Amino acid sequence: MAEKKSTTSHGLLAVFPDLEPAANAVEGLRALGVDDACMNVISGVPVTEAMLGRPPQHSNVPRVAMGGAILGFSAGSFLAFIAPFMYAYPIQVSTQAYVPWPPSFVLLFELTMLGMLLSTFLAVFLDSFFPNYRPMKYVPEISDGKIAIVVECEHVEEKKIMDTLKKFGAESVKPAEAKQL
Amino acid sequence: MAYGKKETENKPAVYEHHGHTEEHFREKHLMLDPLPRGQMNDMVMEAMTEKPSWKYWLTVFVLASIVAYCLVYSWIRLIAEGVGIAGVNRPSYWGIFLVNTVFWIGISHAGTFISAILRVFKAEFRRPFTRVAELMTTFGLVQAGFSIFMHMGRVWLAYWLMPYPNQRMLWPNFHSPLSWDLLAITTYLLSSTMYLFLPLIPDLAMARDKTTGWRKNFYRILALGFRGTEGEWTHLRNAMNIFAFAIIPVMFSVHTIVSWDFAAATRPGWNSTIFGPYFVIGALHSGMGAAVVVLAAVRKFVKNMDYFIRAEHFDAIGKLMLIISMGWAYFFFNDYMVQWYGGDKWTKQLLHFHEAGPLGWMWFAMLIVNIAIPWAILWNSKWRSTPWLVSTVGILINVGMWFERYIIIPISLTINRMPFTWRMYTPGIEIPLGIGTLTLFILLYVIFAKLIPMIPVWEVQEGQMAHQLKKFGRETVVTVSELE
Amino acid sequence: MTTLSDLKISEVKLEGEHVGKWGMVIDQDICTGCQACVAACSMENNIPFVGEEDSGYGRAMHWIRIERFWEGEYPEVKMTNQQPMMCQQCGSAPCEPVCPAFATVHSQAEQLNLQVYNRCVGTRYCANNCPYQVRTFNWRDYQRPEPLPNQFNPDVTVRRRGVMEKCTFCIQRIHKAQDKAKSEGREVADGEFTTACAQACPSNAITFGRIDKEDTLVYQMMHHGQSHGKKHLEELGTLPSITYMNGGGA
Repeated sequence: MAEKKSTTSHGLLAVFPDLEPAANAVEGLRALGVDDACMNVISGVPVTEAMLGRPPQHSNVPRVAMGGAILGFSAGSFLAFIAPFMYAYPIQVSTQAYVPWPPSFVLLFELTMLGMLLSTFLAVFLDSFFPNYRPMKYVPEISDGKIAIVVECEHVEEKKIMDTLKKFGAESVKPAEAKQL
Repeated sequence: MAYGKKETENKPAVYEHHGHTEEHFREKHLMLDPLPRGQMNDMVMEAMTEKPSWKYWLTVFVLASIVAYCLVYSWIRLIAEGVGIAGVNRPSYWGIFLVNTVFWIGISHAGTFISAILRVFKAEFRRPFTRVAELMTTFGLVQAGFSIFMHMGRVWLAYWLMPYPNQRMLWPNFHSPLSWDLLAITTYLLSSTMYLFLPLIPDLAMARDKTTGWRKNFYRILALGFRGTEGEWTHLRNAMNIFAFAIIPVMFSVHTIVSWDFAAATRPGWNSTIFGPYFVIGALHSGMGAAVVVLAAVRKFVKNMDYFIRAEHFDAIGKLMLIISMGWAYFFFNDYMVQWYGGDKWTKQLLHFHEAGPLGWMWFAMLIVNIAIPWAILWNSKWRSTPWLVSTVGILINVGMWFERYIIIPISLTINRMPFTWRMYTPGIEIPLGIGTLTLFILLYVIFAKLIPMIPVWEVQEGQMAHQLKKFGRETVVTVSELE
Repeated sequence: MTTLSDLKISEVKLEGEHVGKWGMVIDQDICTGCQACVAACSMENNIPFVGEEDSGYGRAMHWIRIERFWEGEYPEVKMTNQQPMMCQQCGSAPCEPVCPAFATVHSQAEQLNLQVYNRCVGTRYCANNCPYQVRTFNWRDYQRPEPLPNQFNPDVTVRRRGVMEKCTFCIQRIHKAQDKAKSEGREVADGEFTTACAQACPSNAITFGRIDKEDTLVYQMMHHGQSHGKKHLEELGTLPSITYMNGGGA
């Protein structure tokens, strides 16, 4: 058992030709007792969780974007409302107020957007662990439209998993090896 | 006769409706003409990695030489000798440098417009050319940035306009439209570059899987380790969604602020409340015109692109160009009407100078190529589906929009409230520098066509998955499922 | 953050230290258009000479210029009064807010429109937005033939290329007079000093002084007995400090 555990912990990587068999295989694996957390689907087109019948993915991107927007707004507020009082002496231009409202709105808008978009971009990096150049479990075939399922399950026999994957139409099932991408 | 014949043979009447066969749809629509993903990948990769012919290297060499002379050498001269070698004078303190700045920002608009607005509204025809258009935004903004720096008298102090704590105990003057411009253009450049990069990641991963040698390392680094897991796709899609929505107001703000550089000034002809939307629509006008030219060029000069970029795309962009041309005409007339009616003596002088001054031909040419020609050609679906014709219209529109900016900046500056200072503007070193920015823009495309996949293959495949033919009674129609 | 008082720069006048609003009256009726003011201003303020070609192309850098107009078509031409034109030292100057670098600001102390050469990055927005078109730009580094470098005014900065400049109301003279008066424990007297242009004017068409004190000549000329005084482009709300007198039948 212990030996098996160590082999299964590497996991299996099955390649499916299409969406339908992959979705069926996900269902089959679940029936076998494989937890959803032990599977990972990789694909070359965005295949939604709903199409595969998988639990919704958690994403921090909207939250981080909101945080960035707040940061950007604060930076804008600083430039609009505080920086004008940090000069060596008060600077008067024309008869405009030190803190003129309409230009302040421009400032707040631009910096809010900048903060939000920068942090959205950053959030993709954080959530997806980019950049990541370590070896990972992957098959290049998915770039050509295949769908791969990586199963790493310790409490279900590897053989059973392999049979299920094959039954639902996997083109190939092999032990998943982390390779340099 | 034929009718009678049919009757005698006792056949039911068949009404011919043009082109409703499946074959017709396949031929016409990329989305209904799916190829296996692998094949599409190979087509895009071949276009990119194929060993360039001597013609390619010659093109690069010629373009690079022009850039070296017109942009690098002339700019060094400009910095070393001062703005005096340009044509600016009193009263035309602003000249072609700012014309080019506004022009390039305008060009950069269509990239984001196509990509963001069409993505938000799920316009499917956008799919194959979002990348080409987004590149236009980034490359165009680079030229706009260069042009604005050329314009400055002491460009080596340009960093003084950035907000940071400094020894001079000064922050930029945020009363000034130029400071807003700096923030807006920076925001727009950064966000459009990020927006270009996000949907590029999966294509870079594809390129990484399909290449060897230095290219493999190049794409491995750029693809950041993207595998296509559910999580990665979810984060990417969330981010692209946020970008598509958020970048639209940013894009509008950028050109509105550019227009405020003029509209906020106390000058006849500039001080107009309609300038914001007028500039935005003008930017889209030149931008769509440039997009169609770039698209036709990519289709013509890049291998395998005639599969991805078809007549339907020129047709669709042609329609947009027609609508935008009408919108531009509306805003132009609105601006003209109110200025004319106002009756201010200087504005009257200025309008007269526009039409009947020494450069009056430019004013009329602008109206012809911005309104008359697009309207005369783009109403016809056959004509606007013809790449060379619609891209000729695109080039003409860009000439017209450049004229428009030329009329707004140096020509309008000629007339002011102090008649003693009226004087014409003659461009100097602006001309090689302007040619230099245009050449660099083209050169960037020529180089990047060999470096990054020009077609977002995964987006095309996603679209092809979503499209189907469906029969309603006797008629076959196209249906689209909302996969996103 | 260091405050200004920490810096102990005595030359810098703090806000609230109101030391007068300076103004000018120009009597166009007695101006002969001799250009002595233009020459004097160039000498006083180290203004570069741009040469024939640049000058003909609209790049003359004179801070004050004599505008000549005529009425009618040739040969039935009637000359009108000359119009000396320089920075109007607006109370609400359109050039100030548009500078992204605070290179042109309103001085609280002298109520003048200042140009800070060091801060200028040369966007030239101020010049575009000046309704009077009186700002001049250093298009190049102009050469000064010998012996002209020997007559530089040490009180005035020499500007380099890429910088905007304009009439300062000879602020160096204002400060010199103020410093002298301060050391003698008195106020600056009216007529104690004047600007270079006013000093050089052979017909005394230019009168300079404080327009916030009722006992100055310039104030008297602006407000009493001279109903034909007018400010240029006043309708724009720029609050100019120069009053032009024209058509008074002098």
